[in-house]
Amino acid sequence: MTPAPKTYVRPMNRWWMRHPAYRRYLLREGTSVMVAAYALFLLAGMVCLVLGETAFNLWRGFLQSPVSVIFHLAALAAFAFHAWTWFKVMPLTTPPIRFRGQPVPDRMIFRAALWAWGIASVALLVLAMRFL
Amino acid sequence: MSQTRTIMIECLRYDPEQDQAPHYRTYEVPFTDEMSVLEGLQYIKDHLDGSLTFRWSCRMAICGSCGCMVNHQPILSCQSFLRDYYPARIRVEPLEHFPIVKDLVIDQSDFLGKLESVTPYLVPAQPLTPEDGPNLQTPRQIEDYLGYAQCINCLLCYAACPQYGLNHEFTGPAALALLARYNADSRDAGQKTRMAVVNAEEGVWGCTLVGLCSEVCPKHVDPARAINRNKINSTQDYFLRFLMPFGRGS
Repeated sequence: MTPAPKTYVRPMNRWWMRHPAYRRYLLREGTSVMVAAYALFLLAGMVCLVLGETAFNLWRGFLQSPVSVIFHLAALAAFAFHAWTWFKVMPLTTPPIRFRGQPVPDRMIFRAALWAWGIASVALLVLAMRFL
Repeated sequence: MSQTRTIMIECLRYDPEQDQAPHYRTYEVPFTDEMSVLEGLQYIKDHLDGSLTFRWSCRMAICGSCGCMVNHQPILSCQSFLRDYYPARIRVEPLEHFPIVKDLVIDQSDFLGKLESVTPYLVPAQPLTPEDGPNLQTPRQIEDYLGYAQCINCLLCYAACPQYGLNHEFTGPAALALLARYNADSRDAGQKTRMAVVNAEEGVWGCTLVGLCSEVCPKHVDPARAINRNKINSTQDYFLRFLMPFGRGS
């Protein structure tokens, strides 16, 4: 096929403004920044633990500050949204799953993931409250 | 016969022999309830401006020729109705992410090259002759690929994919869905030859699961699913090549 003699290529600037699905996608990806930030925060706690008791107590003290509470609430919201969106797209990423010869519907996979998430969270909370 | 109303259709116009950049022109189009956007464009061409250029053929969502952007949404213009947009005006543009040849006509050559790269045909394990008889499949085996086989190459998925718009090296939704279609076919033995395309940075890993490709597909091919399931195959292939460097893999 001979290419057209003169074509016009439209720029991609502000492409996210063109469709709401693009903005939802960016929001989904953007929450991973918060996930990474929280991982760094936990890593800082580990470093403090290695440095000694004074450093670790300082880090624990910071956990009770208003800044830390706001950060944790924001992180929880970001984590919940991030997990929710990925559970939504999970059926697209799993190999075909069949039950008694029939394909398992996407909504069943989504609900199973939500249940597993809920049970794991509650179990972790119970364990933490029991041993800490 | 339903009542005639008038809708404003704003069309992107680009004449490569005269224009440096595209511009928009608005037309007043009388329409009835049963008229599609394509019929609106045909009215413009027949009665208002014969120079308006666009592709179309079957008028029933089979040929995949009449894809365009209507209010920034990739659609088949034969499958969308003017009544659903009225009384607002509509903006009709060529499919996003492709070079414009003239008005609503885009240059598809990049896609055609990519389509060729995925070996979009059955590769039998051994050469077959008519004497070998029919290559039978069970309904279950057909079900494995039938959804992906519905693609009509209309390119709406490419117009919906910002990753393709940002990086034209990305193989893209339709070609990768067709790759999955042939890999999933029990009569095919060409998976190994297609793995290089799957594994490449511009193969399945170029997809970040925006997901709009599957939403806009008029044939419900679900390219996002096809691509992301192949990420598992690509990962398996990667590790198997480490474990069995002289045996399997591409």
